[in-house]
Amino acid sequence: MVDTHKFPTKQPDKSQGESTLQPGSVLQGRYRITGVIGVGGMGSVYQARDLRFPNVTRYVAVKEMLNLSTDQSIREMTLKTFERESDMLASLSHPAVPKIYEYFPSKTRAYLVMEYINGRDLEMIINSSTDFLPVETVLRWALDLCDVLGYLHSQQPEPIIFRDVKPSNIMVDEHGQIRLVDFGIAKIFQEGQKGTMIGTEGYSAPEQYRGEASPASDVYGIGATLHHLLTRRDPRLEPPFTFHERPIREVNPAVPPEFEAIIMKALEFKPEDRYPNAAVMKQALEQLTHPVAPAISVGVKPAPEEGGTTWVGAGVKPLWVFECEDEIRSSPTVYRGVVYVGAHDNNLYAVNANDGTFRWKYPAEGRIVATPAVAEEDNLVVFGSTDSLFYAVDVRVGQLQWTVRAQGPILSTCSIVHGHAFFGSDDGNLYAVRLATGRVQWKFASGGAIRSRPLVAGELIVFGTEIGDVVSTDLSGRMVWRFRAKRAVSSSPLEYDGLVVFGSMDWQVYALDIARGWKVWEFRTGKPVVSSPAYGDGKIYIGSVDGSLYALDLATGKERWHFETEGQITSSPAFANGAVYFGGVDGYVYSVDAKNGRLRWKFKTGGPVPGSPAVVDGVVYIGSMDHALYALKA
Amino acid sequence: MKFLRRVLGLSTDAEAGGTDTAVDIVHNAQEIASPPPEPVIESPRQDQARRAAVAELQGRAALLETGAYVGTRPLPPLETIVPRPGERMRFGQLSDPGMVRSNNQDAIFGMVVSSTTDDAWPDMGVFVVADGMGGHQEGERASTVTVRLVADHVIDQILRPMLDNRLNEPDRPPLADVLRVAVQEANDAVNQDIPEGGTTVTATVILGDLAYVAHVGDSRAYMITDDGIEQITRDHSLVQRLIELDQLTVEEAAEHPQRNVLYRAIGQSDNLDVDVITRRMPPRGQLLLCSDGLWNMVPEATIEDVVRRHSDPQRACHELVELANDRGGPDNISVIIVQMPG
Repeated sequence: MVDTHKFPTKQPDKSQGESTLQPGSVLQGRYRITGVIGVGGMGSVYQARDLRFPNVTRYVAVKEMLNLSTDQSIREMTLKTFERESDMLASLSHPAVPKIYEYFPSKTRAYLVMEYINGRDLEMIINSSTDFLPVETVLRWALDLCDVLGYLHSQQPEPIIFRDVKPSNIMVDEHGQIRLVDFGIAKIFQEGQKGTMIGTEGYSAPEQYRGEASPASDVYGIGATLHHLLTRRDPRLEPPFTFHERPIREVNPAVPPEFEAIIMKALEFKPEDRYPNAAVMKQALEQLTHPVAPAISVGVKPAPEEGGTTWVGAGVKPLWVFECEDEIRSSPTVYRGVVYVGAHDNNLYAVNANDGTFRWKYPAEGRIVATPAVAEEDNLVVFGSTDSLFYAVDVRVGQLQWTVRAQGPILSTCSIVHGHAFFGSDDGNLYAVRLATGRVQWKFASGGAIRSRPLVAGELIVFGTEIGDVVSTDLSGRMVWRFRAKRAVSSSPLEYDGLVVFGSMDWQVYALDIARGWKVWEFRTGKPVVSSPAYGDGKIYIGSVDGSLYALDLATGKERWHFETEGQITSSPAFANGAVYFGGVDGYVYSVDAKNGRLRWKFKTGGPVPGSPAVVDGVVYIGSMDHALYALKA
Repeated sequence: MKFLRRVLGLSTDAEAGGTDTAVDIVHNAQEIASPPPEPVIESPRQDQARRAAVAELQGRAALLETGAYVGTRPLPPLETIVPRPGERMRFGQLSDPGMVRSNNQDAIFGMVVSSTTDDAWPDMGVFVVADGMGGHQEGERASTVTVRLVADHVIDQILRPMLDNRLNEPDRPPLADVLRVAVQEANDAVNQDIPEGGTTVTATVILGDLAYVAHVGDSRAYMITDDGIEQITRDHSLVQRLIELDQLTVEEAAEHPQRNVLYRAIGQSDNLDVDVITRRMPPRGQLLLCSDGLWNMVPEATIEDVVRRHSDPQRACHELVELANDRGGPDNISVIIVQMPG
């Protein structure tokens, strides 16, 4: 992290010269300084040889604490706190806690003589390794770490809180044992100093920044340390408290999910959601090493997303099912209590939305792939067919009013605006048809088959073509701009806040400036995108043939989440009341939470679901290639 | 049904998998399970076809009957900016050392390009605020270098291609990426040449009615419209993260001893993650960029009030700087206000 006030004069810099004991100098007539182990903000740690044992080489660590405050009372208070900490340390007895030999204060500094640990700290170990550390080794360290911190947390009358669990404060000695160093004494001196941090950026729990620390804060530090050890991602280089955005197993699949779950629980933002202390965390870890009957039992939840099959699927029963004579690949439209849907049996069906009973059907001469649209003022339901005809049928009784003949199949869904229907055809033309008369007002030759639904936004029309062009015309059919994707654009463009968004067979999702067609951002999926985007809650939702449904931030083009299915997604999602609905080629209809992409429910149909849902009044209407139209509770 | 269709000779093409979108999708997906190829240079024949198509439509397109416009509009009308002749985006800017510091480590940049030509390119604005940090003039140098490099990159990658009519070429990087790279290049330069210095940066490019904002650190961009004032950037500060996690209130954050600690800034590390957001500016909307010397001292409501009260954005800048100085002016204060026409 960067402190904007880090600059002018750092105190330790000024005092560095006088604080450093030179090698060879002897302290208290007993400890000859042999080297510097570390230099901290408040003093240095030296390696020294104990001269009382002249015949053996016995090393000690001498920790120096500078007490430089000019205020007499602060100096005394600092000294007292320091003494109390030293006394506390001296009373501890645990193999992972270094032994204290001696303590001597002076006016401006104090020295603590303690056991010299021959080894390396975990930070050095991570930095010197080039690959992931073995998971078993990390697990063993985790158990040792929880053991010593659990010991501190169990002290009476008050638990001792280490406050600064991080790799550089944890050593592995020559016997491979975990040792805790730097018992927070320096921090007593640092507190209240302007512009410095309590604890260490990256490893400290959120509540420590409010000045609160509990055993659960140390649990967070253990979690942060383990996360760093297993992923090799230094949390100091990441935004604070973002461990959950870097799932361990995504980086290092060798880590068992149960181990990951324990670490993630330790890293919960709220202290009450973590293990209350290191001893309880240790119990959870022990379950991993001794897998008794079911390995996952002690407060470890299995991954929540996929697991809940008890109500996912089994609980979803269709409100009704309507059988057509052939596959449904298009999307239904709902208007005044009636569902209109086209099928591969050439029929347009009108079905009662409340019970799925048949009202009427109208047979076209070709298949109906496009979504029917209702022209309210003209009482028409209009749709194109592969027979090259565009049909206008009375919305109430299904009687033909007029047709328009194109020069090629019509797979494009139409948009109805300003008393006109706008649709494209495989003949390369965009048609504008006056609804009242069925007369073609104009057509625009785009140069490639048009299968996307034209978007009409303000004075502009935008549509994609099978040669990869996205074209914008004005309402009179004059071209305004042309954008070129690398492959077909069958996805129907969506406008929001001045941007137009669509997918392409070139695997990308594009956002353009709708006024000029300039590329604002692009997002690459793993396969072609034929699904059309939906907008809701600041995000764009779009499916990809790579099997995922993506939620992208509209303003930044960054992925917010993605949801993986077992097959391709060609269905265009629908957004309603904080949920996203779509079909999968794997045969399921899905509902996921728009906020986080978690599965709400899924429903298995008898065939792939390439079409898109209509969501009206809490009911999802969607067709499947099993010939059926389903009504499901949203 | 299949039988019938075959008898009628309706869909032999389609049966072969030619025209049906859904069927195509499945086949195509398997065929092209490799990354899309580099764009193919178009053959002259295709180009001719395109030109012919365009000529045809321009010749034949008939106007919609005026009566056609009375239908209901399914979308709320997009209020686009249609400036009156002679009206264009205006801006004011001011950077002040404040009342305590002798040096000004902030740097600002402002530019508006406006043209009237047949191809109707939109007006363009480039605005940058950078708040430097680091001793020995390193802060000033970091913010200065950043402001210059960001402006230079944007002019090179957006303004120049616009003048050369190359901005809509298919292989141009997305505009959001141009801003991101601009900030990353500034980061590389600061890392290399100014090791002890760092800086925030909030840079905006306005093209027509779209505003692109690239942002690192705790300088801010606000949008002020008829609906109120909205902070559109997110501070990359420790306290902001704590607020987002419900661990601090906004009031506590204002007093927090570590409120100056940033987790992302130029000059911190090699790989810089840059936020780039795109927002549409409504007619008469205003965009305000500022360093923390302003927002730490002057509450949002006051900023909004001052910006709304002045028709001249430069005067609003002066009043805001004065307000921050009246309240002690402990830090450098920088502010840029951009006013959209409409």
